[in-house]
Amino acid sequence: MSADASARRSDPILVADDIYVRFDTPEGGVVAVDHMSFDVNPGEFVSVIGPSGCGKSTLFNVIGGLLTSHQGIVSVAGETISGPHQSIGMVFQEESTFPWRTVIDNVAFPLELTGMPKQKRVDRARHFIKLVGLDGFESRYPGELSGGMRQRVSLARTLASEPKILLMDEPFAALDEQTRLLLGDKVLQIQQQLKQTTLLITHNITEAVQMSDRILVMTYRPGKMKRIVNIDLPRPRTSEIVGSEAFGRYVAQIWADLREEASRGMRDQEDHVLHHEAPAS
Amino acid sequence: MAETGRLTHAAPAAPALSPVTLLRIAIIVTVLVGWELLSRSGWLYRDVVPSWIAIGHALFDLLTSGEYYFNLAVTAGEIGAALAIGGLSGMAIGILLGANRFLSKAFEHFLYYLGPTPKIIFFPIMIMWFGVGPGSKIALGTLSCFFPVALSAAAGMRQIDKVIIKVGKSFRASTMQMVWKIYLPAMRHPIINGVRLGLGVALIGTLLAETKLSNKGIGFLIIQAYSIFDMPRMYAMLIVLFVLAIGANALVGRLGGLHTIRR
Repeated sequence: MSADASARRSDPILVADDIYVRFDTPEGGVVAVDHMSFDVNPGEFVSVIGPSGCGKSTLFNVIGGLLTSHQGIVSVAGETISGPHQSIGMVFQEESTFPWRTVIDNVAFPLELTGMPKQKRVDRARHFIKLVGLDGFESRYPGELSGGMRQRVSLARTLASEPKILLMDEPFAALDEQTRLLLGDKVLQIQQQLKQTTLLITHNITEAVQMSDRILVMTYRPGKMKRIVNIDLPRPRTSEIVGSEAFGRYVAQIWADLREEASRGMRDQEDHVLHHEAPAS
Repeated sequence: MAETGRLTHAAPAAPALSPVTLLRIAIIVTVLVGWELLSRSGWLYRDVVPSWIAIGHALFDLLTSGEYYFNLAVTAGEIGAALAIGGLSGMAIGILLGANRFLSKAFEHFLYYLGPTPKIIFFPIMIMWFGVGPGSKIALGTLSCFFPVALSAAAGMRQIDKVIIKVGKSFRASTMQMVWKIYLPAMRHPIINGVRLGLGVALIGTLLAETKLSNKGIGFLIIQAYSIFDMPRMYAMLIVLFVLAIGANALVGRLGGLHTIRR
């Protein structure tokens, strides 16, 4: 745990303090996030992993400032946020490119909003397009690209706004396994190059272990912090690390934690279906 | 219309005269020849079905008279004004209803009931309010155009991908930036469709009003020709109107075809 201790010495850039979110549903309230606290240090890659329905995406929306009906405080570099913040750049799970804009205009979008002069924003957009490896596709429309390429456009667009914290919600979930691994390599490489502080929300254990310095494991409903796992694998890493023995141990350890939660989630969903069919029959 | 546009695009790839093209030509020739035979047979009262030669003469007279262009400009102006007023107000109301669930629940039912009502029944009221001149025609065209544009804008607003709105918000776009850079481009297809429908009904509303009670415009000329039984002139005007309607529709379709994106 020496890595953890040394990381603690610097001031965290993102602090989530006692986050609590409760939704009202017809069958009563559901606690999506239950008093979670954690922080992320500058340059660190942290993943939040948990079973489906554990409130990961709720946490994503709270930190991104899109959901404000929560208790607890999220602060960035000491500043408490109350809505979308310029220091946090979000990448969404769903297809989110603008189909009516070319690749370069998509990437330049956040710069356009701030009123940056055209030449300057085109130059900067071009830089980030090159960074995600899409140079040559600047004047294409998203409809002409593959799913993996479109997700890289979304990533470049968010990076172009130069956020202090990159916040991603299962950005590769809709892609096939091979594209996902290769894209993971790309993200790791960019993250190291920019020393980009990153918080990744995922349900994919391999992905989390491959990329993270630390993994926060969440419980199934209510979503609480179950365990924090430090990943002491050497960097730079690529998807080749997936075959190593140490990697396998981390995956097994996290799966042991998650297995219990995921099966609880599964039972709960089965009960939910049964419970709701009973009155009808 | 859109068909014509697509045909010209496809033409280089297809053989010069495909079976479909041949059949289309055959249908047109049959109708033209049948018409001419009927007009020369003497079975019908003189000029009910005028000869193509007579219609051709009338068409020539029409296209060389200044009076015709003046009335064409009046009608075009009326339709343009109706499309501008009805289209813009319809778009604004539609976006408002699409964005606000409460307003949509409260008001959208009225739009659905009023939408299919034939607007010509309001024409007497429009004459009382705006007189027999172009004002009442613009009012009727506006009324016709408003509903399809408002309804398709409201539906288009609701169909916008939620994640795209989240992207805009996460980059802290202002309300005006959301409208101009997210909502309007995201709903360009339903809006173009609405404007297309709106153009059609604005044309119908305006011309119908002109034929009912007016002193200028193409509708007025048509009904005037009819009342003095100048059938060749009437048919000539119908042909020109037909061609203009096709042209206007093609123009709107072309606008909608810009940046067509597959997804």
